Order: sequence, then structure tokens, then C-alpha cells
Amino acid sequence: MKTLIIDDERLARKELLSLLDSYPEIEIVGEAVNADEAFSKIQSLKPELIFLDIQMPEKTGFELLEMLDAAPKVIFTTAYDEFAIKAFEYNALDYLLKPINTDRLAETINKLLSKDDKKEKEEEKTPRKLSANDQVFVKDGDRCWFVKLADVRLFESDGNYIKVYFEKNKPMIHKSLNALDEKLDDRSFFRASRKHIINLGWVDTIEPWFNGGLMVQLKGGEKIEVSRRQAARFKDMMSL
Amino acid sequence: MCIFNISITHLFRNIVVKSGLLEWKWPKLLPFVLFAIFLMTMCNSLLVSVFEYYWDPSSINTELDRKLFAGLEISAVYFLWTIIYFVFHYFERSTKSLQYEAAISEFELNNLKTQLNPHFIFNALNSIRALVDEDPKKSKQAITQLSNILRNSLILDKKKLISFEEELNTVKDYLELELVRYEERLNVDYDISPESMDFNIPPMMIQTLVENGIKHGVSQLTKGGSIGIKTHINNHTLVIQIRNSGQYLNGKSKSQVGLGIKNTIKRLDLIYSDQASFSIENENSDTVLTQIVIPETI
Repeated sequence: MKTLIIDDERLARKELLSLLDSYPEIEIVGEAVNADEAFSKIQSLKPELIFLDIQMPEKTGFELLEMLDAAPKVIFTTAYDEFAIKAFEYNALDYLLKPINTDRLAETINKLLSKDDKKEKEEEKTPRKLSANDQVFVKDGDRCWFVKLADVRLFESDGNYIKVYFEKNKPMIHKSLNALDEKLDDRSFFRASRKHIINLGWVDTIEPWFNGGLMVQLKGGEKIEVSRRQAARFKDMMSL
Repeated sequence: MCIFNISITHLFRNIVVKSGLLEWKWPKLLPFVLFAIFLMTMCNSLLVSVFEYYWDPSSINTELDRKLFAGLEISAVYFLWTIIYFVFHYFERSTKSLQYEAAISEFELNNLKTQLNPHFIFNALNSIRALVDEDPKKSKQAITQLSNILRNSLILDKKKLISFEEELNTVKDYLELELVRYEERLNVDYDISPESMDFNIPPMMIQTLVENGIKHGVSQLTKGGSIGIKTHINNHTLVIQIRNSGQYLNGKSKSQVGLGIKNTIKRLDLIYSDQASFSIENENSDTVLTQIVIPETI
């Protein structure tokens, strides 16, 4: 598993490297000393896993995650910020407290590897569109989530922000709906109208609507109008 | 007639307590109180007149000047009552708030003394662990330094002042450990006047400020920076200057000033009242200067 280590302290990186020595499955492809370096290394090396320190000069680990479209698997390494990590509502991640306990590390990595086996490298080499299996980092005030795109039923634009609907939450991210639409896999996500992108997996009922449009109700209860122009495409996609 | 006085003042007291009037400042309170006295006098006079008329209908013919005189008498009673009431409550409240503030200060002082940043301790331990392989000798030294700091922070609870030398040694141990962690990203510089050693200072005070300088200054810079501690004697006072790379209040407002600084100011005030001073400012575009001036004796 291609792995990148991100920490501003040389000794901390060295210690982690030596701890990871005993895991041949973890292939260290690089190290980064700050968020900006990490950002460019994530783009070029495409790691599947990152070990991420939270407190770093200029940008924190959280800010790095906010810069990424899709986050790789993340294991936070931190000395005393577990309260910050507990802010996560949606735990698709793990964290290690420095100095790292070897048993705890073993547990974390085993969990990670067994999950990875199950996933069968299905769409490993698909072109880089965000698929339903990708996770995105969402932060809204003090609360953070890693959300699997499959769990997001609706993106709704609201000024310069997008509301992300999943479970009972709808935090906002600072992005434009058009930019997001280009990145999302159109087999799972559909641009219903100027303001909405819906997850086709969450569609509950479809009714004909005025002017040849459609009214789609999602399993979360939201009702979204599909414009006439998009309705034909939508019917195409939803039929066999 | 006494019954009127008592019941009217009682009613007034209820209104005062319920409406939180005691919290009001004098200028706002005064017109209200004067108006209340006038109102109470009027009520009282009215009640007295009604009462007198009931017993003796001829009393309606009493001359106006006698009535006015009686009214004045009544208002004097209410005036006196109001003054006593408000003055009594004013003193009671101010002693209560003084006691409260003293208790809070004591609590904060104790709290601050024991405060050693856990983030620092665990990061230091983490770098020491890596150092064990790389440089065993240096790692042993680092363990000793960390023990010194922990020991000091434990004993210091009991002391109000320690010698400058003791404090300086703690700071040196602390900075040695930060050097292990930040390596070439941190430069440390001392310029200590020998007479400084004759002074006593509050424990962990320089330590807290140096730690602040690293946490908010040097550690936020990708390329790192420096921290310098300089002391000199000026007119029988000890002047301690801490310079660190970075910018104070970088884009933040004054209200976001950290607990470390607030507590330092409070501690100096509690121990030396106005004989000590504290300042923190941007000396130039990349250096923050923190300065404490401490008197020779209390």
C-alpha cells in the first residue's frame, strides 16, 4: 500500500519509519514536512494511505485535507490533540498518539489491511473521477467528517458554497457546483438542475412534473425538481 | 400611619429586587429613585387623606399648607429609607465581589503554576524515542532535562518566588529539548547579565513566555526561527526581554490574546501590584518582543 508520511519533525518521521519497517505491506513512497509539500506529493505520488501530523507550521493537517478533492486513507499521528480528532463524527479514520504504541499501530494497520482485501481492487485504475467509494473530508465549524460519496444523497449549491446532505447532516463546503460536477462520476451522480446534484443510488420515487420535468424524491425525504432539459437524460440513465 | 410606610417601602423593595435595579449604575439609578420617592410620597399622602376623610369628613377642609408640610415630612422619611437601603446593598455587593475576585485569582494562580503544556511533553518523548537509536548519549541527556522540567513544575506549586537562576536553568533545559525536536529550525540565544542572579521571580513565568514564543512564533514558520533571552538591571529593577521570530496578533484581534499572557499579567499584578510591568509587541516585521520588569524586593 503506497504510503506518504507527513510530519514537520525529522525525528518523528524517522521514528515512524522505523516502526513501519516491520510491515512490508506498507510501502513508503515519500515524506513531506509541511502541508504544501504534502499536497503536491499527494498529487504526484498518489498514495493510498497517509500518516498525517495535525500541528504543522503554516497549515495544519486539517487544512491539508480541506485542500484535497478526495482524501486517501488517513491515519492521524499527534501528541495531544485527540480532542481535535474526536471532533470527527464520521469515523472512516484512525489516529495514533505519539509516542506511538507498537501494539496500537499493529491493530490499526491490520484493520486497514483487512478492509483493503475485502474491497477487491475493483476500480483501481479507472480515470480519476470521484467514484462512490471515494471519501471526502468535510469540515463545518468544529465538526469534521470523512464521508463516503456513496452516502451523500444530495449536493445543493448555496451561494459560493455547496451543502452536502448525508445522514442527518448538511455541512457546507467552499466549492462551486460546476467544478464538483466535473469531478464526480456521472454513473452515480446526476446533475438534476442548476442547483442540485443527486446521488442516483438514493432515488426513491420519480413523478412527472410540469413542463415535462420530473420530481424526484430521495430516500432522505428531499424533493428535487429535474429540469425539462435534464429529464430526458435522467430517464435514459434510470432505465435499463 | 406607620403601616402605610412599611407596606409602601416593602412594595418598593420587591420592585427593586425583581427588576434588578441594584445592578444599575448611579447616574441611571438616581432619576428613577427620585421619581420613586415622589410617587411613594404621593401614594402615602393620598392614603392618609382618604383615611382621615373616612374618620373625619371635615378634614377635607384642612389648609393646603398644612397638607404640603405633611407631604414633605413623608417624603423625608422615604428619602432616608431609600438612602439607607441602597447604601447598605452597595457595600454588601462590593465586598462580595471583592471576595469572589480574590478567590478566582487564587484559583487561577494555582492553575497557572502547574500548567506545563502536555503537547510539549509528548512531542519531546517522541523525539527522544527516535534519538535512542540515533544518538544514545544525547537521548540520555534529553531524558535528564525532561525530568528536571517535570520535577520543577511539580515542586513549584508550593513556591511563590524562586531565584532567577533556578528559573533560567528550567528554561535552558526546556529549550535544549525543543532543539532536539526542531533541530536546525530553532536558534537559541542568551544574553544574561550576572546581576540578574540576585533577583527572585515567580516560577515558570519566563518558561511560559518562552514556550508561547515557540508555540505561536517559531513553530508556525516553515523555515523556523530564533528565540533570545536577554536581561539587564535598570534602576534596581530586573528587565527580562524575550525576542522570538513571528508576529504578535498576526491578523487576530486583541480579544483573542491567549491565556498565557493574561495569566502572566494577572500574576504580576497579584504578587507585585503595580511595581512590575509586562509588555508584548512587534519589535519589527519579523520579531516579537516580550518584556517583564521585576522589582528587587516586594
